[in-house]
Amino acid sequence: MMAALFPLLSVLHPVLAVPTIDRLVFAVCAVIVLSGALGVVLSSNPVYAALSLVLTLFGVAVLFVEEDAQFLAAVQVVVYAGAIVVLFLFVIMLLGVDRQESMRSERLPAQRPLALLLGLAALGELLALSRLTHWSTGPRGASGAPATGGGGNTAALARSIFTTYLLPFELTSLLLIIAVLAAVVLARRPGQHPIEPPALVETDDSNLPMPGPDPDEEIDGVRNVDAESIGFGGGRGPQ
Amino acid sequence: MFLASAGDPLFVDGINFAVALAVIIKVVLAFAFLLVSVLMMIWFERKIISDMQNRVGPDRAGPWGILQSLADGTKLFFKEDLLPDRADKRIFRLAPYLSAVPAFLSFAIVPIGGTITFGHYTTELQVADPPIGILFLLAMSAVAVYGVMLAGWSSGSKYPLLGSVRASAQMVSYEAALGLAVAAVVLYTGDLSTRAIVTGQEGLLRHILPSWNVFRLGFVPFFVFLIASTAELNRPPFDLVEAEQELVGGFHTEYSSIRFALFFLAEFMNTITMSAIVVTLFLGGPDGPGFHFLRWLWPILWFLGKTLVLLFVQVWLRGTLPRLRYDQLMDLGWKVLIPGSLVWLLILGGMLISFKWGLIVLGISVLFGAALIRARSLGAQRVGEVGS
Amino acid sequence: MTQYLPILALFIVAALFAGLSFMASGLLAPYRPTDAKSAPYECGIVPDREPAERFPVRFYLVAMLFIIFDIEIIFLYPWAVIFKETASPVFLLVEMLTFAATVFVAFIYLISHGALDWGPLKRLRPMAPISPARTSESTVRRIRPAARDEAA
Repeated sequence: MMAALFPLLSVLHPVLAVPTIDRLVFAVCAVIVLSGALGVVLSSNPVYAALSLVLTLFGVAVLFVEEDAQFLAAVQVVVYAGAIVVLFLFVIMLLGVDRQESMRSERLPAQRPLALLLGLAALGELLALSRLTHWSTGPRGASGAPATGGGGNTAALARSIFTTYLLPFELTSLLLIIAVLAAVVLARRPGQHPIEPPALVETDDSNLPMPGPDPDEEIDGVRNVDAESIGFGGGRGPQ
Repeated sequence: MFLASAGDPLFVDGINFAVALAVIIKVVLAFAFLLVSVLMMIWFERKIISDMQNRVGPDRAGPWGILQSLADGTKLFFKEDLLPDRADKRIFRLAPYLSAVPAFLSFAIVPIGGTITFGHYTTELQVADPPIGILFLLAMSAVAVYGVMLAGWSSGSKYPLLGSVRASAQMVSYEAALGLAVAAVVLYTGDLSTRAIVTGQEGLLRHILPSWNVFRLGFVPFFVFLIASTAELNRPPFDLVEAEQELVGGFHTEYSSIRFALFFLAEFMNTITMSAIVVTLFLGGPDGPGFHFLRWLWPILWFLGKTLVLLFVQVWLRGTLPRLRYDQLMDLGWKVLIPGSLVWLLILGGMLISFKWGLIVLGISVLFGAALIRARSLGAQRVGEVGS
Repeated sequence: MTQYLPILALFIVAALFAGLSFMASGLLAPYRPTDAKSAPYECGIVPDREPAERFPVRFYLVAMLFIIFDIEIIFLYPWAVIFKETASPVFLLVEMLTFAATVFVAFIYLISHGALDWGPLKRLRPMAPISPARTSESTVRRIRPAARDEAA
């Protein structure tokens, strides 16, 4: 048992070495992130679930700021909270699924064990990563900011995206095209063809009713509006 | 040329009592300034609109009716706070916070003056100067969408729901145009911090004009930002969100008392902040020729003056322009402002390298522009094929 | 991190202000709900239908397209930040042009399918047929003083 805990403790060791204020921020954010995540999983109302997701995203954004990954924090809020969850809410609203979902009935029976398995796998990956890789932003300098070679986090990130990770960046645009295509295909009405512009109608103008009252009708000086022609029906006026 | 922003020099020595006190003073001053300027702005708007329509406007409370908004605000505290029974109570209560708090926060990044020194501490005259600066504004306007969207949805009533769906689609559409216009400013500054954006605009352009971004970037990003920010604020002529003739009061129809007041407050606070942001991004912020015997006060006066001009422009737009139709609004946002500002940004990038590259990008843009016009006419015939 | 301290402080002040206003209003305002007051507001008409549960798919397309542009914008910012300091701006410009062109193709595709057209179908209305018999003499009835006198 102790032997199994040992790697976990050695992972946690750097956490215990950081200043109190950072630990405090981390603890508060961890509570926010976890309560948001639990909210996503446990709320039966999809709107509440989406809002809990926003809460989680905010917690993660603050964690990013705490790690001096400021640009990522902004991305987290602008793209994830500002665009993607808005899309979720739109879908929830426009499908009208804002009713309570039953938590008992399960359409995909394998879903829950599979989710548990994948979650554990992701956790294992994260722990392995924290031990094995070296971090691109580098360790914190004496002033508290990571050593990024000038210009701060955003510039460092930009230098990596537009040189080392150029191909993934360009491939992102293809991914976006695929997303647009999929959206159009999904939103297309089945079997609908473009609507032809209507041809000008040939009309025989001798059949057209004349506007205004019938010339033969008795004029009473008061009522000379053809009531039928403007939709009141009947055409009986005060006589 | 690279303007790395070091942030507010107040925090170089870490945090101690004096620094914390300075932070508290700045925050309280900014908060009070925002509240007072909202009261003034509401009065200013009503007075100017009345003048434009040959009316007198508010003239009872205080001299020239200047206390009218204060009276209105106080009155709202005494009004019954209704909670409709079809409403989703929790979200209905949450929505005003989501609207008001981002409105307060986005003002934090506006530099209203230069720096001020007291003792051996120096601080910038702005509440906060985070390195991501202007992205903070985008983040806050992203959050503000939630306030509007959830207010309408949680009311459990037809008009608020329609208003909020319209509003969120509108805010989301114009946020893209807003972001693209800001990107042009970032391109010329090389930094996201608002302080760096302001200091980057000091000096003269070709010895005549001030080197403000409105001139340096060739007006297009300025006008795109101005239009997009008006739409983002849901102000006339883009106020379809609360188009009274169709939607009663829009997303806040069911709100009353202080909850309604918070939405109203947020709206006017955002108007003031957006005008201040326009000044910061395009009109040099607190920069201006001046008398140096006034020291740190003079830049603040410049900043306030420019902001006041922009606020007047907002009122003027409201007084003159009729409301757009929804399809016109979406067309303007998606088919004019977004492609236009994207193309302008890339041309600016080309021009920064050399004139030749600018022309090359312009050529490519003309090709894509032609394709876009063709696509528009095709799309107009195929409407209804996708969606509806 | 310390640069965000004032923002946190402002957040607390703003949230306190909103919370305290609610409390003040709770103390000062009357609370006398009736069925009429807490019914959805429909200009005095008694609501008899639930609000619409479904919205046009086009809103979904707008949100989708916004995500795409938002991702493009979020790539544009770091690009813009390093554009002036980089050693090879031409390379950087070509990179972004390729990216923007690809996204723009998707945008044009969407527009050409009418996904962002909101208005009613813009169709040519058939022109009202004009016949030579229709003149101001034949279509406008003049009320002569004599006719008015007869009617009276």
